[in-house]
Amino acid sequence: MIKSLVFLLEFLKGLWITAKHFWINIFFNFLKLIGFNIRDRGSVTIQYPEEKKEIARRHRSLHRILTREDGSPRCVACMLCMTVCPSECIYIEAEEDPNPEIQKRPSKFIIDLSRCCFCGFCVEACPEDALRMDTNIVELGEYNREKLIYDLNRLVRISK
Amino acid sequence: MIKITINGKNYKVKEGLTILEASKQVGIEIPHFCYHPALESEGSCRMCLVEIKGVPKLQLACSTPIKDGMEIETENERVIEARKAVLEFLLAGHPLDCPICDKAGECKLQDYYYKFGLFEDRFEEEKPKRDKLFRIAPNLIYDQERCILCTRCVRFLREITKTGELGVLNRGKESLISIYEQELIENNYSGNLADICPVGAITDIDFRFKIRTWFLERKKSICPICSRGCNINIHFLSPSFPFKVEKRVFRITPEPNVKINGYWICNLGRYNYHYIDNDRILHPLKRNGELKQISWEEFYEDIGNKIKILIRRKKEEKIGVIVNLSLTNEEYETLEIFFNKCIPGTEIITFGKKSGKEDNFLLTEDRNANRKGAGKYRFKEKKIDILKFLNKKELVIFFGHEITEHCNIQLLSEALKDIKTKVLIASNKGPLINLVDYILPSTVIAEKEGSFTNSQGITQKFYRVLEPLGESRPEIEILTSLAQKSGIWRNFLMTRRAG
Repeated sequence: MIKSLVFLLEFLKGLWITAKHFWINIFFNFLKLIGFNIRDRGSVTIQYPEEKKEIARRHRSLHRILTREDGSPRCVACMLCMTVCPSECIYIEAEEDPNPEIQKRPSKFIIDLSRCCFCGFCVEACPEDALRMDTNIVELGEYNREKLIYDLNRLVRISK
Repeated sequence: MIKITINGKNYKVKEGLTILEASKQVGIEIPHFCYHPALESEGSCRMCLVEIKGVPKLQLACSTPIKDGMEIETENERVIEARKAVLEFLLAGHPLDCPICDKAGECKLQDYYYKFGLFEDRFEEEKPKRDKLFRIAPNLIYDQERCILCTRCVRFLREITKTGELGVLNRGKESLISIYEQELIENNYSGNLADICPVGAITDIDFRFKIRTWFLERKKSICPICSRGCNINIHFLSPSFPFKVEKRVFRITPEPNVKINGYWICNLGRYNYHYIDNDRILHPLKRNGELKQISWEEFYEDIGNKIKILIRRKKEEKIGVIVNLSLTNEEYETLEIFFNKCIPGTEIITFGKKSGKEDNFLLTEDRNANRKGAGKYRFKEKKIDILKFLNKKELVIFFGHEITEHCNIQLLSEALKDIKTKVLIASNKGPLINLVDYILPSTVIAEKEGSFTNSQGITQKFYRVLEPLGESRPEIEILTSLAQKSGIWRNFLMTRRAG
């Protein structure tokens, strides 16, 4: 008997919480509708994809490769990102750069996003600040895996 | 033997050593750049400073000989402070371009900085700009910014090769290492300069920018290019490397062995490693009109049966074997048991690679790795009329392509036309491939285990460094499996056990 009373109590509590949120949301959204500017209260559902959540300033999104003033990628193929990458998704091949001031440049730079875990270690390891994860591109879905392999040209193009 | 004290502990060491050598013997490392065990000590880097009791100033460990009762401190505060100061001086003009330096990962300057330096940079001045791509040899690039002027390279060329192409020019902070006008270093040992350079000042063009050193694994092996049998380290991409790369071996460096090669190898041995990955035969092939892939079992069955029939018909002299001089001692022993003892009557001839030029140091005239070892089992190169040898044979087994260096290929192909079965056992593709019916992949030296006897008569064992490429198998395994199928298995086992 007492047991079932406890259940009933909890049941009513739950109903009360649901009802409270319902009425509060109705109230504030009604205020919003008639033109009051209320920022925080009210329904928190974001109507994705029509509406998009604001991305935090330090959010780690799709990689990009930065370029020098003359448009060549800043990467010097030191392979530190390839070394530090815990999911082994970066592969680089180096070649000689004709400019003796630069000497080394990547001939191949591949990030396999299907393996990437977005830890950001590669960005931290880069001594040239050539790699960043600040594009705010988070919708990376593709219909096949090959499209998730980003090469040097694609990574440079993103930054433009 | 004299008594010395290092860091408060007593040791007995041989007389006549320097402090650095003595402490190395008892297991205490003193950091150094310019000292090299094979070269005269110069004392230019000042990294090996140690404190000796009774001597007011710190002394150079690399050039101070030990005396009886000497008390040496290698790890106290004063010494470590001095090391830090030396490193700070060396790094003042160093460009710190480790990300694009091929030495990074095995650089002494890098290692010592992490061990003894770890100071904040106090220099506000711009670092001096110098030539970073100075060609000093066809295979070497010298970076004037990175050089710390230890003069190991200069001393190597003066003392070891005795050619002296390099010298130190200018004075003070302007000094740099250079060649005389445009005369590049053309000697056969220039590759060693990149190894002995303690920083990345001299880099090898063959290895330049190919891969970072920390991705490589190294294992000892023996150089098969000539009969000297130099000890080498094969640097290969470790199997745990997550990406597929066609190339496995990236460079070859010497492994110190005072009896044979000292600390060096020649350029011929250093740069001739591409045969390990390129132009390899990968699968057993059989020619039936055109080449078709077969399994090893099919081959053993086919050839084993042929040998069996020839033995039954008492026509052993119709089997001809052509052996090269680059197999291991163990393989020659197996060959001898197989053909000389179990199938007496088979005719065996031996052909090695043609001899090349020797250079009066390491490279020998004989370009076959194991002529001495083959000689022990009576495989000796003789002048034989090859066409006469091939006449009326039914089964010919070639080991390697060496025979084509000794006779005209057209004559050889005509002579081979009448022979029913021709078998080639080789690791790489070569001129014989188009002339034979069975092509079998054998392993290269780096992929097998065994021993070589070098031209001095020293027998050296070596172990497998790489996994066999494709379906290739060592010759010893091929011969043993063939013996199983050709009806001589019991005889073979008995002789091997008795031998």
